[in-house]
Amino acid sequence: MKEKQQILVSLNRHKEFVVTGPFVEMRERQGSSGPEKREPTESDKGKFLHPPEILTIEEVAQKPIDGLDTPKVLNAMADIGPEARLFVYRPEGKVTRHEIFEDPRVCLEIQRGAVIENLREKPKDVSGWRTHDFFIDIKGCLGDECGRCAIVCPENAIHLMGKGKGSFHEIDPLACKGCFICWVECVRTAADCILVDGKTFDPGMRAKHFGE
Amino acid sequence: MATVLAGNGAAAWGFRLSRVQCYPYYPITPSTACSEQISRWVHDGAMEAVTINAESEHSAASQIIAAGKSVRAGTATSSKGLLYMIEVLENAAGGGVPCGLFLGNRATGAPINIWADNSDAYAMRDSGVIQIFAADGQETLDSIIQGYRIAENLRVRLPFAVNLRGFTGTHAYEGVEIPRPEEVNRYLPPFVSLHPLFAPEKPVTYGAMLSAYPYRRHKRNQMAALSNACEITLKAGQEFAEKFGRSYGHFEWIGDKKADLVVALLGESASAGEVATRHLQGKKGIPGVALLKIRLFSPFPAKEIAQALHRAGTKALVVLDEGLHHGGVLPPLAQRLTTAIQLYLGGKGPKVASVIGGLGGSEVRQEHFQLMFNLADNIAEGNPYRPEPYWLDIEEDPIFVERENQVSPKLWRKWGEVWKKQQRKEKFCSPIPPDTNEIRIYSRAGQGAITSAVGFTGAGIQNGYQLLTVPAFGSERRGAIITTDTLLNFHNERRIRSFMRAWDVVILYDDTILYSPEHQVLDGLKEGGALLVNTSHLSVKKIREILNVGQKKVRVLTVPAEAVSERLGLKHINMAMLGALHKVYDKVPFEPAQGYYEKNVPRPREKSLEAIRLGFSETSDREIQRTRKESRLTVSQEFRDWRPEDHSQESWPSALEEVQLG
Ligand code: SF4
Ligand code: SF4
Repeated sequence: MKEKQQILVSLNRHKEFVVTGPFVEMRERQGSSGPEKREPTESDKGKFLHPPEILTIEEVAQKPIDGLDTPKVLNAMADIGPEARLFVYRPEGKVTRHEIFEDPRVCLEIQRGAVIENLREKPKDVSGWRTHDFFIDIKGCLGDECGRCAIVCPENAIHLMGKGKGSFHEIDPLACKGCFICWVECVRTAADCILVDGKTFDPGMRAKHFGE
Repeated sequence: MATVLAGNGAAAWGFRLSRVQCYPYYPITPSTACSEQISRWVHDGAMEAVTINAESEHSAASQIIAAGKSVRAGTATSSKGLLYMIEVLENAAGGGVPCGLFLGNRATGAPINIWADNSDAYAMRDSGVIQIFAADGQETLDSIIQGYRIAENLRVRLPFAVNLRGFTGTHAYEGVEIPRPEEVNRYLPPFVSLHPLFAPEKPVTYGAMLSAYPYRRHKRNQMAALSNACEITLKAGQEFAEKFGRSYGHFEWIGDKKADLVVALLGESASAGEVATRHLQGKKGIPGVALLKIRLFSPFPAKEIAQALHRAGTKALVVLDEGLHHGGVLPPLAQRLTTAIQLYLGGKGPKVASVIGGLGGSEVRQEHFQLMFNLADNIAEGNPYRPEPYWLDIEEDPIFVERENQVSPKLWRKWGEVWKKQQRKEKFCSPIPPDTNEIRIYSRAGQGAITSAVGFTGAGIQNGYQLLTVPAFGSERRGAIITTDTLLNFHNERRIRSFMRAWDVVILYDDTILYSPEHQVLDGLKEGGALLVNTSHLSVKKIREILNVGQKKVRVLTVPAEAVSERLGLKHINMAMLGALHKVYDKVPFEPAQGYYEKNVPRPREKSLEAIRLGFSETSDREIQRTRKESRLTVSQEFRDWRPEDHSQESWPSALEEVQLG
C-alpha cells in the first residue's frame, strides 16, 4: 500500500517539503504543487515591518555603515559612554534615518528588559520553570531550511546543529523554560517533530494545554 | 484662519495630523466625540488608519499597546473607562510602547457624575504614563502632536496622555488653528518602532516573565526613561514654537515676574484664574500675583518649578486640586509641589496651602481665585492656616468665616483659631468689571441651539474676534430646557475663556420657557441688554408683563422663527434664530457674517440661508399682530429621535469635514 503524500505549507521559496508517513523529504519546489511561487509584491511590503538596527559602539566600530560618517558617529557615541546606541533605519538598504542616543533601558549586567530580542538572548538556566521536557526529533526536523522554532523561542534555547542536508535543531535543556511556543509554531507539527515528554504531538494535549 | 472646533474635535485633529495608524476605542462621555470624528474620517477615507470598535476600554487599551509596538496608535477615554484601562496601561509603560491617549477628564464616582474633575487623571498617575494637561482645544491639538514626538523619542519610549477638562474643555467650541499637514510631517517624522512585531528579521518577545534580579533593574530603567521625558518635553515644545509659533513648556507663568502670591493648578480652570490674576495685578496694596499653570504633571518638573518659584521670590503658594488623594496628606498636585519645594528650596521656599475644588463639574470661578490669592496673602503675612486641604466652594466649611455662628460649633472648635486670624480682604475681592460680551440661549434639547451658536461663533471669529461657545450638558432628556452660552472677546492680544455670567443678550428658543419656574431668564441680563423670544402669539408687552420687567432698561424683541421655518419647510428653528440674533446684537455685523454662512451653513443650504435672512428681517421690538392663539412646541421627527449623546446636530458638518487644508 502506498503511503499518502502531503506537501507542507512553507515560506521557503526554493524548496518544498514532502511528508510521507513519518518521513519528510525535501526537494526543489515544483511549479504547480504546493503554494505558488512568486516574488514579493507591493502588497507584501506592508505585511512585515522592517526593524531598525540598534547598535552598540563596538558593533559600529566593527562594521562601518555605508552613508554614515563612522568616525564622527563613534566619537559622539564615546562621549555618551557605554549606554550609547546608534539607531539606524535602512528599509531598502539605504540609511534613511539615524540617531545617536543614550538608551535609558540599557542595563549593563543583564541583557533583558520588557522586550526580548529572541536571537540575541543569552541562554541561562531556567530549567526549573519547566514541567515538561521538550525534545526535537532529529529525524523530523527540517534543519537549516526551516529554523522557525529557533526564531520564536524567547529563551534562545534552540540551536542549529550541522549544515545543509542532515542538519537539525536541538533544544538546550537548561535554557528551555517549557513555554510550548516552539511546539505550537513548528512547521512540522503534523509530522510530530517536537516531542513533549517523549510524546508526539496530539490534538488532545493541545486542547488540554490551551483549554480549547 | 481658525476653524471652529470643540475640544474633542481638536483632539481628533491632533490624532489625524499625527497620522495615527491604529485607533481602537470604546466610547465614554465626555470624550466620545473625538472617537466618533476619527471613525467618520476613516470611513470617508480622509484618514488612513484602522479603527477598532473594542468591546471595552480594557480591550481598547490592550489594542493600542499591541498596535503601538509596530505602528502609531491612539485612543480617547474618560473617567471609569480610563480606570478600566489602567491595568493594561502599565504594560505599555513597562514595555516601552509609545502610544497616545486623549482624556476628557471626568469624575469617577460613586456617586455617578458625568462632569469634570481630575479624578481619572490622578488615578493613572502611578502607571508610568506621561501626563500633559491642556487648557483649551488649541493646546490639546498641539499637545497631541508634541505628545507623539515626546513619547517616540528614543530616550523616552513611553505612552502619553493629553488631558482636557470635560465639557468646559471637550465641548467648548472655539477657534482652533489647524496646522498644515506638511508642516506637521516635518515636525513629527513617521513612526519607526524599535522592536516591531511581525519583523521576521528581528524576532522579539514582549512582556516575558522576569525574575527579581532583572525586574528591579528594568523598573529603575523605566523610571529613568520617564524622567528623560521632562527634558524632551521642553525641547519638543521649543521646536514646536519655532515651526508653528505657539510655545509650550513645562508650565506657564501668568502674571507678575516677581510674585509673592502664587496660585498653582492644572488645566482648563486656569482660564478663570487668568482673568482674576490680571484684575488683581497692580492693584493698590496687593503684592505681585501670578498663576502657575502646570502643563506637565508626569514626570513632574520639580526642579524647574522650584526654581521658578525661587526666582519670583514667592512667599505663599496656594495649590488648587480638582481631585482627591484618598488617605493622602495632601492631594496629588499639592503633594508634588510641596515635595519639590522641600527638596530644592528647603526652608527658603514658599509656604504651601492646599485647596480642593472643581469637583464633579463644580465651576472654578474668578471669585474663587480672588479668595485663593487672599488666602495666599494672609499666609505670606505669617498668619496660621490649615495643614490640611481647604474646600473651595463648600459653604458649610468656607475658607473665610465672618461670624462664628456661620459654621457648625464642631468645625469652629477645630478651626476657630485659624479662621479668626484669616481675614477676607476687600481689596482682593473687588468685583471684576466685565470685559467681554456674553450671550445666553435657553432652548429645549433637540431644537438645534448649539448649531446656531457654533455658526455664530464661526462668523465672529471670521470677523477677527475671539469667541467661545459652551453648551450646558447634563442628564437632560429631549425637550428639557438647556442653556448654550457664547462669549465674545474683542481684545485680540489675550484669550479669555471664562464667563462673567453677565448677559448682553438672552435668547429664548421657545416662549414656554417664560413660564418655567426654574429658569429666571432675566437673571444676569445686563442693564440695556436684550431679550429675544421666539414667539408667534405673544406680544412684547405681554412678555414684559409675564416677566415683570417694568421700567427696567431691557430691550425685548420677538421673532416668529417657528412660523418662518414652517413656511420654508425647515425642521429646526435654529437658522431663523441665528438671523434674529444678528438683528439684536450688531457687534458681529450681518453682512460679512452672511458670507461665512453661505459657505458653511448646514443642509439644506438655500433654505437655511433664507431662514437666516428672514429671521433677521422679521425680528422686531414693536407690537405685531400675531395670528396664533397659543404657544406650542414643534415636534418634528428629528426632535423625537434626538438623544443627549447625539452630536450630529451640533457640528457644522461643512466646517468640520470640508476644511480645505493647504
Ligand atoms: S518550550 Fe519554549 S523555551 Fe523551550 S525550547 Fe520551546 S520555545 Fe524555547
Ligand atoms: S523543529 Fe520544527 S520548526 Fe524547528 S527547525 Fe525543525 S521543523 Fe522547523
